[in-house]
Amino acid sequence: MKTLLRRHGLALLCAALAICLPLCMEDSDYAMRIATMALIFAAASQCWNLSGGLANQISLGHAAFFGIGAYTSTLLYIHLEVSPWLGLVAGGMLAAVAAAMLSVILSRLKGHYYALATLAFAEVLRVVANSWSSVTGGPIGLTIPFKGDAPLAFQFSSPAGYYWISLGLLALCSLVFHRLASGASGYRLRAIRENEVAAEVSGIDTFRLKLRLNVLSGALMAMCGTVYAQFIYFFDPDSIFSLSGISVKVAMMSIIGGLGTLPGPILGAFFLVPLEELSTSFFSDTAGLAQCVFGIVLIAAILIQPRGLMAVWGLRHRFMKGART
Amino acid sequence: MNGLQALLDGIMLGGIYGVIATGLSLVFGVLGVVNFAQAEFLMLGMYIAWFLWAWLGIDPLLAAVPTALIVFGVGFVIQRTLIERVLAAPPAAQIFLTVGLMMVLENGALLAFGSSFRSVNVPYQSEGFQLGSIFVGAPYLYAFLAAVLVSAALWLTLSKSWLGRAIRATAQDGMAAILMGVNIKQIYGLAFGLGVGLTALGGAVILPYITVSPTAGGQFVVLMFTVVVLGGLGNVAGALLGGLVVGVVQSLSAMVFPVQLQNLVLFLIFIAVLAFRPQGLLRES
Amino acid sequence: MTEPLLSVHELDVRFGGLAALSGVGFHMRAGEILGIVGPNGAGKTTLFNALVGVQRPTAGSILFQGRGISGLKPHVIARLGMTKTFQNSALFPEMSVLENVCTAALLHHRLAAAKKKAYGILERLELFDIAGEDVANLTFPQKALTELARAMATDPKILLLDEVMAALSHEEMDGVIAVIRRLREDDGIGFIVIEHHMRAILSLCDRLLVLSFGQVIAEGDPGEVVRHPDVIKAYLGDSAGAGHA
Repeated sequence: MKTLLRRHGLALLCAALAICLPLCMEDSDYAMRIATMALIFAAASQCWNLSGGLANQISLGHAAFFGIGAYTSTLLYIHLEVSPWLGLVAGGMLAAVAAAMLSVILSRLKGHYYALATLAFAEVLRVVANSWSSVTGGPIGLTIPFKGDAPLAFQFSSPAGYYWISLGLLALCSLVFHRLASGASGYRLRAIRENEVAAEVSGIDTFRLKLRLNVLSGALMAMCGTVYAQFIYFFDPDSIFSLSGISVKVAMMSIIGGLGTLPGPILGAFFLVPLEELSTSFFSDTAGLAQCVFGIVLIAAILIQPRGLMAVWGLRHRFMKGART
Repeated sequence: MNGLQALLDGIMLGGIYGVIATGLSLVFGVLGVVNFAQAEFLMLGMYIAWFLWAWLGIDPLLAAVPTALIVFGVGFVIQRTLIERVLAAPPAAQIFLTVGLMMVLENGALLAFGSSFRSVNVPYQSEGFQLGSIFVGAPYLYAFLAAVLVSAALWLTLSKSWLGRAIRATAQDGMAAILMGVNIKQIYGLAFGLGVGLTALGGAVILPYITVSPTAGGQFVVLMFTVVVLGGLGNVAGALLGGLVVGVVQSLSAMVFPVQLQNLVLFLIFIAVLAFRPQGLLRES
Repeated sequence: MTEPLLSVHELDVRFGGLAALSGVGFHMRAGEILGIVGPNGAGKTTLFNALVGVQRPTAGSILFQGRGISGLKPHVIARLGMTKTFQNSALFPEMSVLENVCTAALLHHRLAAAKKKAYGILERLELFDIAGEDVANLTFPQKALTELARAMATDPKILLLDEVMAALSHEEMDGVIAVIRRLREDDGIGFIVIEHHMRAILSLCDRLLVLSFGQVIAEGDPGEVVRHPDVIKAYLGDSAGAGHA
């Protein structure tokens, strides 16, 4: 028990906090909404961290999978009345296929080239969603028909419903991350990050490992997109496939929190989402301020401490050691 | 619309794309950094040229020169204070530094200038030249001629001047350039300034036929990268040619596809080139 | 006569218009130690890269255990039993010695068994005491031995060593040579060795292959090959007397 507490103390503390939070904030819908949004983005950022942090594949197009999830579940619901719970699975599968294809096509690209290609992929989907109006609703976007309290239709009257689902999603993404970052696969991924050719010559199938990461990352990201769409009820192509609004934001949370670490995206999301909320609510008449502040935070983070908040608090080393043994 | 007209329109646009993208290619060629914020300097150039027109009544085609100089200075300072510090860092740091810069510039413009669209009034705005069945709008033609002029000047600078030789030497082999007595840090700053200055100049000359708003740069991001990737990242001459190709493809595909889809064709070309010929179409593998 | 373990026929590697290797052919038996020498740019490392699948050959065939492996990926060839070390140390820099070796041992084992195997190899190569050390802190001979240990962990039948003894003193070199000999005696591993030190080559190799401008210009007993007039002209001419070409 003692060692359990020492090794997983922080994780247990976070879990306890996450469970108690709704009890304390039950009266404040506003605070619950911010907490839920932070959870969704933490989960999405954890997906980015899977491919970006573990395999060094710097994607600037994760909004593509996010949007695939949101559109799949919402369109299935609007046109065929398929429950978004099934839509969640369908979106995940569709995104997995898309991620697999992209991973194969881009398997030779690294660094800047990979970032550029993924950016263009999300842009392609944005253009398609904008112009294929008969199916996607075009630039006007989609509104999810309001049903009130209908858990089967993925709708809840109180924010707590979304909170718990988002928490579950974050737990799932973090679990997948933990499984891949530790044990044999953790060794292999570190080897790929540090020297890909040497890893390959040492018998590691780098192509397959990256493919697996990208597929999991894309599928989970699509699930985040579905939950996000159900939570906010409305989205359009420019916001759901957004470069700065989604792709950069999820990457940035991992980087600011601590690239390639499990707590990194969570720290990053719980730092940035409230920051965004605060700056938009305090200065509601100055559009662009939040994004501008984000940009400054990102630049500052890279120049001052590229290893993120985890390193600032001296925690990163502990977690990396934890992943080793 | 006939094919010849579309071809000509494409070339007019393509010349501009070439100049805009040359700046991006120059930055990558010398510093090895893909500047994701490059399109924001286009937007910056458009705003500067707009204010020069609104306050001093200078025609954007003339304002392009002071605009380029101002942005050159801004770029030099940004390189020396920010970009310089990640040149040895892993790609992730380089990518997100320029992405951060992109966010600051775009939203800074939104804070400073508001979201309204601004345009200029110049006497030749609605004029044009008729040649048989082909028509060329005066603003397009003048912008294209300016692009040709600038490309020639750039070529002269790079091939004949000491600065040009130092820049090319640095791009080819930084260590050797240092040994030859080139102050490489200075060159990095100058090359970045020159790169973003060129892009800003492109922004100024198109102002007579395009409106400026804080998101003006965003529309050019993928387009610019497509141009550069077609010609080979870092290949300055390739970027000019890539610009013409993209302009023509865009204008010809507009004859076949609805307007919203013309960029789709470009994006798909872009991904295909990156995936199968990342060194560009011009270079040998 | 038994079937050779590795046979290479008419191997070509071209980069654009440049022929890095042309018409290279040789055979190798199990447990043999084959040396490859040649001036800089002769194509030695390119040959290694082609053998382990890092570089796809333009033409020609590579038969390993009777099976064509040309064009296979490096991890597949490693699984079949051939891998290489890198000219300039390519250890995983942020991992410990043990972790470097253990990662490669995962090719044929689960994590617990891989760790055990890695410890075993480190013990044999006398690296056990520095198992927990980050590779960034190692001395040159320790780095060389760790490279060797990592490659050993994939259970190779043929191990290609690309200048593992560069930057080593004579005594350190003798130590590495002794290790390579012992691995050959105990495990029957065959080695192909690229090395510039003539002393190391002559004391280690059973047979020598001389490459020049991408072609094999001589092959045979090391002592005889180095006296071959073509070889002296192409490669040893100006520095044969120095003992270090």
